[in-house]
Amino acid sequence: MTGTFISLISIIIGITAANTFGYFKKTYSFGLTGNTLIGVFGSVLLIKSFGRLGFDPWSIMQNESFNVSLFAINCLVSTIGGVLGLIAAKTLYNKLNQ
Amino acid sequence: MEDMLFYDRLQFAFTITFHYIFPQLTMGLSLLIVFLKGKYLLSKIEKYNNAAKFLMNIFAINFTMGVVTGIPMEFQFGTNWAKFSELTGSVIGQTLAMEGMFSFFLESSFLALFIFGEKLMGQKLHFLTGFLVFLGSWASGWFILATNAWMQHPVGYEILENGKFVLNNFGDLFSNPWLLPAFLHNQMASVVTSSFVVASIGAFYVLRNKQVEYGKLFLKTGVIFGLVSSLLVAFPTGDWNAKNVAKHQPAAFAAMEGIFETEEAGSEIVLIGQPNMVDKKLDNKIAVPNILSFLTHQDWNKQIPGMDQFKEEELPSNIPALYYSYHIMVGLGTIFIGVMALALFFLIRKNLYTIKPLLWTIMFLVPFPYIANLTGWYTTELGRQPYLVYGLLKTSDGISPTVSSGNTLFTLLGFVALYMLLGLLFLVLVGKTINQGPTPQTH
Repeated sequence: MTGTFISLISIIIGITAANTFGYFKKTYSFGLTGNTLIGVFGSVLLIKSFGRLGFDPWSIMQNESFNVSLFAINCLVSTIGGVLGLIAAKTLYNKLNQ
Repeated sequence: MEDMLFYDRLQFAFTITFHYIFPQLTMGLSLLIVFLKGKYLLSKIEKYNNAAKFLMNIFAINFTMGVVTGIPMEFQFGTNWAKFSELTGSVIGQTLAMEGMFSFFLESSFLALFIFGEKLMGQKLHFLTGFLVFLGSWASGWFILATNAWMQHPVGYEILENGKFVLNNFGDLFSNPWLLPAFLHNQMASVVTSSFVVASIGAFYVLRNKQVEYGKLFLKTGVIFGLVSSLLVAFPTGDWNAKNVAKHQPAAFAAMEGIFETEEAGSEIVLIGQPNMVDKKLDNKIAVPNILSFLTHQDWNKQIPGMDQFKEEELPSNIPALYYSYHIMVGLGTIFIGVMALALFFLIRKNLYTIKPLLWTIMFLVPFPYIANLTGWYTTELGRQPYLVYGLLKTSDGISPTVSSGNTLFTLLGFVALYMLLGLLFLVLVGKTINQGPTPQTH
């Protein structure tokens, strides 16, 4: 049940990570709007792609008990997703607009 | 059990209502973007291109919010509606998976190319990417509507001994007689929403005397698309949809029209009235005789079965909510036609941009197409109750038996808090984009 909720928290962490990274590394920033959008897709992509290794919301809430370590990994992957999303988007943007 | 069902339904209603704020704009907006980009290709006037790119930025924010709020929906099928997923998964799983695989990827990939790749691709390919975004967003609507159409009017299935539904004809999912009218009605309604949004942005710019050139373009585009789509929502798509409900869900039709007693010949259409569930009648009603029979069957005297013709368990579980949802949708739709027709009249007379009360009206009407779309969906969903799969699987039999109502309430409160945060973020991002306006660029 809480798994549904965790999926949403992951995305919000991705948004926060992308915006924070963009704030400190201005060369990668697309502004608040762009960073937010990329943060969503970055975190969703990583969690959806790799979450099945054992840290997706289902696994975190396995047997209705909350697994803190898996949740921490989930949050970390979301953060990485947001940051990598921003780097990938900027690289793509630069390549397309050379 | 009653409690569990109530909270599961409340949570689904809340999350789907919040979610549907976003796709209803993206679907309609993608059509307007393709139109503006196409107009640029034909005319080479730069403002059309800038307008298309500006609207794509608003599209992108909406699309992203749609993704964020759509993911919990997917999880809810497993968490709150495990029994429903278990029994019908092999049918609805097909269309839902196709939505993710085909439409979502088509939409998101080409959205990125549209935003980033104009310089590299050139204008024709840039138009093509915009068109593919449009195609993806409408295909998404098609697959979701195919899923819902099967729940409203199940076809091409068989039920195994263990109670599970399996498909025995894949093609039936897409040739379901419920699907095409529902899809066209839904898509036209989403064009109404986007037309009002675009027109209201235009009215905002003209009233503020800022970005006036774009303001006029948005007003003109919004008003023309708004009137055409508002008319198409009513006829033929709305008419076709209502006839479908009368044919396949006659009890729901009687409830949404407020027909408590079957009339001997010719049913009246109720304009205003309040359902009185104690005396089984409409209070304070204003009705026009025989119109409903004519609209439904093209026969002034054709009898339409009222709620008295059905058993209690065949009737929708919340008749007043269904009746009001339907009447709010129809009432708002009528207002949209009136306002947009008036705006078009002044547009043709070339003085729309100077009539401030009308511009203010257009600007402040923007929440109402959203309300009309949502009440339209409430009508569809409340009309199907007490069933999840009409006539075959009751809603009470589809919930997860092991999830307590307290657990659902807790996560619902969590959703309310997080969605409030997301809603604020959405308003800030859209507000910033609108405030900045289209960025003039020349090639």
